[in-house]
Amino acid sequence: MTSLNLSGVGVAYGTRNALNDFTDSVKPGEWLCLIGPNGAGKSSLLRSIAGLVKHSGEIRVDGSPLRMRSARRRAQLVAYVPQSPILPDDMTAREYVVLGRNPFISHFGTETKHDWKIVDDVLHRLDLNDFAYRAVGTLSGGEKQRVVIARAIAQESPILLLDEPTNALDIGHQQQALELVDKLRQEHGLTVVSAMHDLTLAGLYSDRLCLLHQGYCVSSGSAAEVLRAETLAEFYGVSVRVHHEPDGTVVVVPFRHMETSSDI
Amino acid sequence: MSTREDSIARTGWLVGRWWIPAAAVAMCAALLLGAMVGPAGPTWWRVPLALLDRLPLISLDSGISPREWTIIWQIRMPRVVLAALVGATLSLSGACYQGVFRNPLVDPYLLGVAAGAGLGATVVFTVNRSGSSSWIVDPLPLVAFAGGLIAVAVTYLVGAAFGGQRSAATLVLSGVAVTSLATAMQTFVLQRNTEVIRQVYSWILGRLSSATWSDVRLVLPYVILSCGVLFAHRRLLDVMRVGDDEAAALGASVKRIRIAVVIAATLGTSAVVAVSGLIGFVGIIVPHAVRLLVGASYRLILPLSFLLGASFLIVADIPGRILQNPSETPIGVVTAFLGAPFFLLLLRTRQGTR
Amino acid sequence: MSIHSIRQLRGVSRRTFLAVGASVLLFAACGTSDQSAVNTVADTVAEASTDTAAPEVSTNKIVSLSATATEMLYAIGAGDQLIAVDKYSNFPAQANAFEPKIDGYEPSVEAIAALEPTTVLIAFDPGSLQSQLEKLGIAVWVGAAATNFDDSYRQITELGELTGKTTEAEALVSSMKSEIETAVSSMALPDAPISYFYELDNTYFSVTSNTFVGQIMAQFNLQNIADLAEAGNDYPQLSQEAIISANPQLIFLADTKCCQQDAKTVATRPGWDKIDAVTNGNVVELDDDVASRWGPRVVDLVKQVAGAITAYMSKLK
Repeated sequence: MTSLNLSGVGVAYGTRNALNDFTDSVKPGEWLCLIGPNGAGKSSLLRSIAGLVKHSGEIRVDGSPLRMRSARRRAQLVAYVPQSPILPDDMTAREYVVLGRNPFISHFGTETKHDWKIVDDVLHRLDLNDFAYRAVGTLSGGEKQRVVIARAIAQESPILLLDEPTNALDIGHQQQALELVDKLRQEHGLTVVSAMHDLTLAGLYSDRLCLLHQGYCVSSGSAAEVLRAETLAEFYGVSVRVHHEPDGTVVVVPFRHMETSSDI
Repeated sequence: MSTREDSIARTGWLVGRWWIPAAAVAMCAALLLGAMVGPAGPTWWRVPLALLDRLPLISLDSGISPREWTIIWQIRMPRVVLAALVGATLSLSGACYQGVFRNPLVDPYLLGVAAGAGLGATVVFTVNRSGSSSWIVDPLPLVAFAGGLIAVAVTYLVGAAFGGQRSAATLVLSGVAVTSLATAMQTFVLQRNTEVIRQVYSWILGRLSSATWSDVRLVLPYVILSCGVLFAHRRLLDVMRVGDDEAAALGASVKRIRIAVVIAATLGTSAVVAVSGLIGFVGIIVPHAVRLLVGASYRLILPLSFLLGASFLIVADIPGRILQNPSETPIGVVTAFLGAPFFLLLLRTRQGTR
Repeated sequence: MSIHSIRQLRGVSRRTFLAVGASVLLFAACGTSDQSAVNTVADTVAEASTDTAAPEVSTNKIVSLSATATEMLYAIGAGDQLIAVDKYSNFPAQANAFEPKIDGYEPSVEAIAALEPTTVLIAFDPGSLQSQLEKLGIAVWVGAAATNFDDSYRQITELGELTGKTTEAEALVSSMKSEIETAVSSMALPDAPISYFYELDNTYFSVTSNTFVGQIMAQFNLQNIADLAEAGNDYPQLSQEAIISANPQLIFLADTKCCQQDAKTVATRPGWDKIDAVTNGNVVELDDDVASRWGPRVVDLVKQVAGAITAYMSKLK
């Protein structure tokens, strides 16, 4: 289990500051979910942890700065699932998942039996056995998502970054994918940082939420603390009702102003 | 794993592995065919006998005269071997460029090699115009080689200056700019020295008919080095298929891979262009044909492009000897004639699968 | 060519003419089979070729990839030694009759070897041709494009040695020299140089006086309007305005065959009717081949130029 420490992280694209001075500490095994409107800086934060974009400030994994590490070492620590992953149509699922082993294969080397064993293991656990030799382009959206997650798991890295993992999925597959991540998190002791649009699901699966707005973290804490109607109205500009279920689940429901019915 | 997966796995393994030895056999057959077919020389079936006779422990009577043997060994064989080296290098370079720039329309001349080498050749023809070769070493391949390398170096410097070692698109645009500049300079030089236009044109069309063993020796070390480095990158090219960002997130040093591939491919391409001129289409056609046959994994595409590229050019060189006997048809013309219908076929196939 | 060197040439030509002329007369009188007579006369000639007598019936089998060399061979009577020619060898008619013709820019070494020639004549090497042929034991003779008359004479002499027609070659060279000299010296040249435009093709490419053809013109004290067009470029492309404003007195068309130009088409070009050469009818139609080769027909070119100048002079009066 690994801790992730972010202090003063900022990302700028030209003159525009996408992320300002973000400071947070993710405990080992914790699931932090970033929420916020489009352009709030969620993706920028994830990309800076993944090492894909220049950032100011310091990112530490288990105390030591990520900046000092080589790309390979970083990939061994951090697995990144982007918002729209590129899935080459005629790559088989097996070939795609083995890409996750890249950080452990020497530059000019090839995969070992051990690598393939891990790949087959992961495919089995994610119920992808039937698709192992099928071209990824022939899979459905849900299956594709599972394959991408499989690749990240094959990387065997203790930190998992997920950028909008459920965007393209129907409600059933959304639940499936998130349940899967949670299960793997428990099994392997992963530390997860995700960015999500669906606020209810975000509250349901994560341990802690962080609301980003124009590059700043404006609210951080549990689902109940962050998901308030006023907060959401202020930063999303949305009209919502927030319900608290008996079991503690926070449900965010948008509502419309109807002329005939009375508002709450 | 269930037995069903086992059999699928095994079949996949077999199918993939089967292609490479088959391609190697095809290349050997092409080499033999190239040696046997020609407008003159001995009857075709004597040729393999004569070649076998040359092997250390074998002695056969092939019944060919010394002059016929000279035709085979000094005129035809270097040409066939050079065709193999050129075809293999151009196809391999084309396949690697397609991998590193993730663009199917890319060919090994993308970053300016062709234009730079062409400019170099033009300068040599212009300076050497009186025809008297008072040089100890033939300057043409050396200057063409240098021209190709310099053009790509300029492309890289310009591309990097405009923020582009990470960005493939910037590099490609930079290559387009450098190619245009070099071509413009070449046109200017030609305009002022019109009496060498015919020779330059002939060189541009590509020529294997004047190949000698010394050309082969000149090119061989560069081809070996270039192809060796490119082969070593086959797994990494598969990693690059998921895009620069994801590949970097997977721990691949995208910048380093791209530079290494470009340098190695440029070295090989420059060397073969220097002795054989600008033979077009091979670098695009062959990798695409290979993709149609075996799918898109670079682990198969690279070795097959190498072997089938060699075979293709050897076979493409044959009609050139025969069509306009006793003159030669430039090989660039033959590959172009094959290239256009191939692209149409490719288009049709892609339409079908979508 | 400077005046000094022209005078030197004329001086040498006179002596050679006398000596060779005498030998030719003797040669003709005694008949070709009298080798000893030929040898004796040859000794007295200052610039005689030094080869021993060649065999009567030549075993040469020659392939000519140079149109000029083909013309030279026929002119020295060695045309029967040819077994194949290139695409541009269209003169004389016997040369044109060879089929198939080889492309001099893209020759097939194997195909040439299959003809089993003894010698191949080339004007330039399209790429390793010479070395490949020599590997096959075929001799290669290179007769590069001449830059002056001496080159041309030397090539004729060499071909004479090669084919065993040394005397015919000598005779040809001396007759060429004398005819050219006659043509030049019999002209009454004006004091002021006559300006001319030499048209290579219908996009107005021209030649400077540094070229072979340019030097021929210079012998007649003609002034080339293209000389100062582009420094360092002997084949500049002139613009129509430049040509019209230079107002040449003579125009030589070397594109009558390739590009179908003649005096009439030139007159129809817009603006060209203002040029003196056009208004006075001094547009000379040359044969492309004659103008671009450096063989025996150079004499015809020289005579044609002389005739054009004479016509020009007569129109002045």
